[in-house]
Amino acid sequence: MSEKTFYQEYEVFSKRTPSSGFQHQFSLLAPNEDMAMIMAQENFMRREPVADIWVVNRKHIRGMNEEEKLTLNRLDNKEYRTAKGYGYLKKKWRKYEQQMLDEKEIMSWGGKKK
Amino acid sequence: MTNLALAATEEEKMERFMEKIEKGIKIEADDWMPEEYRTTLIKLISMHGMSEIMGALPEKEWVPKAPSLHRKLGIMAKVQDEMGHGQLLLRVAEDLLKPYGKTRGDLMQDLFTGKLKFHNVFHAETRTWGDAGLIGWLVDGAAIITQTDMLNASYGPYARALHRICAEEVFHAQHGEAIIMALAEGTDEQRAMIQDALNRWWNSLLVFFGPAAKETLGTSKQDVTIKYKIRTKTNEQLRQDFFTKYVPRILSLGLELPDKTMHYNEEKEVWVYQEPDWSELKAVARNEGARSQARLNLRRTSYQTNAWVRDALAATIS
Repeated sequence: MSEKTFYQEYEVFSKRTPSSGFQHQFSLLAPNEDMAMIMAQENFMRREPVADIWVVNRKHIRGMNEEEKLTLNRLDNKEYRTAKGYGYLKKKWRKYEQQMLDEKEIMSWGGKKK
Repeated sequence: MTNLALAATEEEKMERFMEKIEKGIKIEADDWMPEEYRTTLIKLISMHGMSEIMGALPEKEWVPKAPSLHRKLGIMAKVQDEMGHGQLLLRVAEDLLKPYGKTRGDLMQDLFTGKLKFHNVFHAETRTWGDAGLIGWLVDGAAIITQTDMLNASYGPYARALHRICAEEVFHAQHGEAIIMALAEGTDEQRAMIQDALNRWWNSLLVFFGPAAKETLGTSKQDVTIKYKIRTKTNEQLRQDFFTKYVPRILSLGLELPDKTMHYNEEKEVWVYQEPDWSELKAVARNEGARSQARLNLRRTSYQTNAWVRDALAATIS
């Protein structure tokens, strides 16, 4: 087989700790996914802590082309979808002598029972 | 996709492209780019990639001769990193080569025929352990100066590769410093060894950054790479940065500058130095450096010797 078809392109993802999400690292060439896994460790994980690795053949990835990416631009009129659009409630709650339950407060509720 | 973007003329695409460059929006492999940008990147990155691979060879020569197990492990780790950097950069170059139907195998052939060059500093002999230290300290130091200048390169994949590479170069530079400082604090003979290495490498270190003006050698890519925001500084600015960072350190270790006339002009805020001998660069461009052919032959031999591995692995996926 010629070298033009021998190599396949793999994208490499890894996570630093068991609880973190996967992050894209880089791509590499390998003849199959087992070799891709070995190459991923050799090429990208020589030092940093790593808890798991994915290798994905590029032909299985549906990406966006340049034109499609243009559709990702957001109009700047979507405040009703975000907390920012409701910031005025802070002032209103003050009138009732209550603190607003903002993102920082609500996201702090997770975890162990106090 | 049928939309207006498809109907864009080359001129409009170019305009949109330059707008992205000016705004600092990264260009990605699949994005439209002018031919000049693509060919400039291919030349720059394939040369950088092959230089990493060829650059591992002068240091590899010192793996069996390193003076202790600790030093052997250190230099082996560095040689492995250089090959890893080569892998990263060749990947970036290959994605750019797609429209031309070329691959890594073609780049390797270009290296063998002399069409693809590798950096001047990797054509030289490494005579002593002092050379091994000096390569880590000053050759890698010079490379760090040029590579960090491109950390924000307009081409996203190259910028991301450089972030990985420069992080490891920090280790390389310190590895080199550790060897040099051990010798500088050693015997007279050891100090003489690093002074001798510095004397022999000085010209190559200055040449490494390229000529200040394109008239010196007839060609220069620096204007194009700056125009497209691949790099920010000129060859001369990078050489001056190198002097500013390293001359005080060289002197502090009790070493002498090989260029006796060298001094800093406070008023003009520039280092004044003797122009290096550019004929060295012309010779290595023809692969006529002291070790050019020996190292290319080593690469050719290993490429041929390992051909059966590529064939064997290819068989399992066909």
